Amino acid sequence: MIHLRQGLAAVCFAFAASGVANAQEAPAFRAHQFTLGAGLVWSGAYDVGDATAALRGNGIGSSPPVFTLFSATSRVTPATSPELRIGYAVTPRATLEFGLAYTRPRIAVSIREDAEAPAQELPGETLEQYLIGGGVTWQLPIRMGSRLAPFALGGAAFLRQLHEDRTLAETGQIYYAGLGARYFLRGGRGAGGALGLRGDARLNVRRNGIDFEDQTRTYPTLSLAAFIGF
Amino acid sequence: MKRCLAVLAIALTFGSSAPQAYLKLGALLNGRVIDATWRQQPIGYFISDRPGGGLTANDLRGAVERAAATWSSVESANVRFSFNGMTSAPAEGTDGRTTLGFIDRPDLDRVLGATSFLIDVTTGEIAEADIFFNGRFAYSVAPNGQADRVDLESVVLHELGHLLGLGHSAIGETERTSSGNRRVIGSGAIMFPIALSSGTIADRSLQADDIAGISDLYPKLSDHEAGGIVGRVTKNGRGVLGAHVVAFNPESGIVVGNFTLSDAGEFVIAQLPPGPYILRVEPLDDADPDSFFPGAIDTDFRVAYAPRMVVAPQGGSSPPIEIAVQPK
Repeated sequence: MIHLRQGLAAVCFAFAASGVANAQEAPAFRAHQFTLGAGLVWSGAYDVGDATAALRGNGIGSSPPVFTLFSATSRVTPATSPELRIGYAVTPRATLEFGLAYTRPRIAVSIREDAEAPAQELPGETLEQYLIGGGVTWQLPIRMGSRLAPFALGGAAFLRQLHEDRTLAETGQIYYAGLGARYFLRGGRGAGGALGLRGDARLNVRRNGIDFEDQTRTYPTLSLAAFIGF
Repeated sequence: MKRCLAVLAIALTFGSSAPQAYLKLGALLNGRVIDATWRQQPIGYFISDRPGGGLTANDLRGAVERAAATWSSVESANVRFSFNGMTSAPAEGTDGRTTLGFIDRPDLDRVLGATSFLIDVTTGEIAEADIFFNGRFAYSVAPNGQADRVDLESVVLHELGHLLGLGHSAIGETERTSSGNRRVIGSGAIMFPIALSSGTIADRSLQADDIAGISDLYPKLSDHEAGGIVGRVTKNGRGVLGAHVVAFNPESGIVVGNFTLSDAGEFVIAQLPPGPYILRVEPLDDADPDSFFPGAIDTDFRVAYAPRMVVAPQGGSSPPIEIAVQPK
């Protein structure tokens, strides 16, 4: 058992040493460089609540069993939207980012348990959804080629959701973390501008906003964008 | 002053009636219907000293006071009652007094109680209303109900809703019994026209549909919190008259309904807590609709839903939404 632990420690040390050494050769922004990115972000679906339209049942006592008129499950559908990001490289590894995204997902509704109608899917209403937030990316000390730079990211955003009739807005917060990579088409060597593509996958935790059960929801996003550094 | 007496237009029945929507009583004035309401409050009433249904007049007085307090407790409505005393007069006729009491009506073997009105049809003001409770039924005022006896407070609560100007609500489901009558299997409003089974006391508390209705009739001037939903129900492009539209808020769980009341199929559901609603449209097929609507209504369509949720905005109404239904 002692030998095994020593072996694992040796492997971890070797991996870390190799990573640090290779990271020095990976492309990166120069410190104090500004970046601007634009692209598309795909947001996955997530439920916003089950609800049952219940009537009082006809039974003895003050609270007899209920009668179900129908049940409804609501969910925010996947959507693809434009996204803008402005960044500032504090160090070659760490970049502060501020982002803005505009999405138009739908709230689709599934109806079931209606005694007089079959189960059915309602097309639902289209939301206007705005996300404004900030976060940080941290370039990982892992070499993946001379142009590719993987990073981890995390942050938070303010969420504003506007119902289709534009008569009710609800607000919430998004917290996210994920992994991504930048592919430098040009630059990334510590001097001059930079140009490239960036992709990331995030896991989002949404609090508040439209939710019929007031629950915290999680959903994935994938984004692909072009960026310039200047 | 032209006055019109409407008698026995609305009654709470025991297992057999046509369900009617959360609606308001009205008077026809210059070609348009205006709400029939009390313009002066508190609404004073007398209790007839006649016993009935196995109870005393004082039992009835207590049930009326509790039911009146329930209506008065609606925060978004301005409703007050005052007990003016006992009377030897029966709970019927036009004597200038609003009287509630027992009357034996064996001829009305399915009617638990009924409300009659004296309405000034030039203003819509209710001048007098009497409520009789059919003494041929066995009632109870036991706190937890009593098997095989009808809960009197529940019946009073329903009839006081009429006295205030509310019509019936159709938020409820019934089934045919072997005797051909209808039995309630689910009810979402005190103003549903068919009573729950004997022994139950569930109808002592108001439901969202009742609260929306009374708040529409007697809104508190300071209350701008509520919203409304308006729209049309159509079949093959034409309006549907008499369709029952139910609004369900998936967040709060409240259920409020109303009918399409024009040939164009238009409906209004007022006094809703703001928020998104799922709208369900159903034909009035749980009972005979002829006893409510003066003309023919359309019941030849399948249950349908609005294609999307509709928001009742605070202090306003939704943009009109059209709900298309299909023939059966």
